[in-house]
Amino acid sequence: MNPILSFVVILIGIYGLAVSTNIIKSVFCVTIIEAGLILLFLNLGQYEGGLIPIMEALGIEIVDPIPQALMITTIVIGSTITSLALMISIKIFHITGSIEWKDFLKRK
Amino acid sequence: MPLTKYILIILLGLVLAMFIVSFADYQEIYNNISRLFYETNGFLDTGSRNIVTAIYLDYRLFDSLFEAGILLVAVSGINWISQHGAEQENAHFMLDKFKTPELFITFSRLVYPIMLLFGIYIVLNGHNSPGGGFQGGAVIASALLILFYIDLKKSTNMRVIMTIEKWLFVSLVSISAISLLTRGVLFTNFIPLDADADLKSIYLIALNIIIGAKVALGLTAVFIAFLKEGR
Repeated sequence: MNPILSFVVILIGIYGLAVSTNIIKSVFCVTIIEAGLILLFLNLGQYEGGLIPIMEALGIEIVDPIPQALMITTIVIGSTITSLALMISIKIFHITGSIEWKDFLKRK
Repeated sequence: MPLTKYILIILLGLVLAMFIVSFADYQEIYNNISRLFYETNGFLDTGSRNIVTAIYLDYRLFDSLFEAGILLVAVSGINWISQHGAEQENAHFMLDKFKTPELFITFSRLVYPIMLLFGIYIVLNGHNSPGGGFQGGAVIASALLILFYIDLKKSTNMRVIMTIEKWLFVSLVSISAISLLTRGVLFTNFIPLDADADLKSIYLIALNIIIGAKVALGLTAVFIAFLKEGR
């Protein structure tokens, strides 16, 4: 059930990306998609009774460590991508004086 | 509400239905072979008790290398778009207008060394306990950012930070490439496979320190670029 809920979060992000008219809101929607993706991946490796993937002693049952290792890189990349997008939107605001997609696309 | 939004919602509902249908038999696709492999071999192969560290520093080092590369490229891109000179002083941050409370400054001075120490602890024990280079680097970065609350007038030389970051990336690639000489395989632990676990952890600690420094400097550089932008 939980993976389906996190997929719903991803779909909410995609919907917001499609309908938002503001550049900052679009950046937020990318962040929402990323959060849903992280939840989805962490849910996939989970099972009942699994311990955290640290081998205190040999022979304990751990959850799947691969999704966690992938999501560490995703979090760092996501933060840098978000800051890059926000910096670009600041530049757009300095040039056009507005952060609406409408005004930005009209310039061409 | 225009018609296009209804169509969009219907299409997204279809995608959700497809996901639910395909998810019903994911237990057959997603098996626990890899989990059992890491359970039995993870510690013996890499000498790391934290299996996540074992994966991103040994089994799948390519991920971490390209991740560090993306961090470098994104920080350089932010600096290039921001285009503020290294000599330019930081903008007076929003807090300066309202005068940062004296209590806040005092507590920042108290908390700053503890946060720095905690971040360094997380980085150094990344192979034994929860943590590692990325997490510890983020803690160290937030400790460095507290400095800006203490002294807003501080000006930072971005060129030095970017140079250090580039050399850290070069050393990351070169340390992980030493294994071509000792083991004959590129991008893995350079200490032989049958060595002691404590000996193997030298490589893990070195790489965790480099990644931690890289993440901390990268996040600090991003924050400074935004500070200089806030005129």
